[in-house]
Amino acid sequence: PAWAPRAVPARGRKTRHDPPAKSKAGRVKLPPPVDPEELLVVQERYRQHRLVLSALRAEFRAEVLQKKREERLAAEGSPEELEEHRRLMAWNEEENARQRARREERLRKEEEEQKRRKSEIAEKRARKMEAFLEEKEKEVLQLQEEAKNFITPENLEARIEECLDNPRNYNFAIDKDGRIVRRTVLS
Amino acid sequence: ALSAGSRLLRGRGGHVVIRFALGGCTNRPFFRIVAANSRRARDGKYLEQLGCLDPLPNAHGEKVAGLNLERLRYWLGCGAQLSRPAEKLLGLAGFLPLHPMTVTGAERLRRRRQREQQPEAAPADGSAEPGTDS
Repeated sequence: PAWAPRAVPARGRKTRHDPPAKSKAGRVKLPPPVDPEELLVVQERYRQHRLVLSALRAEFRAEVLQKKREERLAAEGSPEELEEHRRLMAWNEEENARQRARREERLRKEEEEQKRRKSEIAEKRARKMEAFLEEKEKEVLQLQEEAKNFITPENLEARIEECLDNPRNYNFAIDKDGRIVRRTVLS
Repeated sequence: ALSAGSRLLRGRGGHVVIRFALGGCTNRPFFRIVAANSRRARDGKYLEQLGCLDPLPNAHGEKVAGLNLERLRYWLGCGAQLSRPAEKLLGLAGFLPLHPMTVTGAERLRRRRQREQQPEAAPADGSAEPGTDS
């Protein structure tokens, strides 16, 4: 009956749509206290338990399927057919294994090929880089050499004097046979 | 059993569960371990009975349960869920691994018993020693 005392609250007199009593106005409902270490331990245990359970379920499922298959086969054909079927399945397995081995060989060779090619390309690139650097080094050195002969604002006066002191004669005569004569009237 | 708006109508779902169906008389419970559709009543029509459990200890102080492991494997292989008490029972039986809460409950009980014993021992020693000293 509704007026009987209860250890745990249950809906007796009031429905869920009735408002709570005034005496319960300041009531604060807290969840049950949880020990964090214990919680971690319990979670770990649950994880392991679920792992084992799922493995067991998979086992049982495989068993059931196997039994169904065997029943179906037994219902269909005679023992000779089953033998034949098993033999052919075994042969198929062997074929698969052989093909797999061949495929793996092929893949391995191709990988090696790839690696070799890559290393070659890398080497070529390195060599090209080295050659390029060498070229640039040479050019830099050459420029440094030529820089000694450049005309700078300090050298300007001296060089002009030098040029004026040593006049060069660029005139020459050439005939149709290609003989050049450098001695002219001016020099 | 299948009316137009009944909960058992096909088309929405429901799964097989292995759970306890309560039977017996007043102050004398008796559980049957049963594989049933989850949407059936607790004591209603089931697919197959897989065992039974007597929750009251017998003359020798044992709680007796019977299980049909062969059919249990079949139903679990077909994808049946288990209710928590069913899992705990199967864990204790050894068919499945022990449920974590069984172990946790046992540890808590042991700790509580130790705590109750120590305060009894400590005040008993504390009250005895001054008595002997003085």
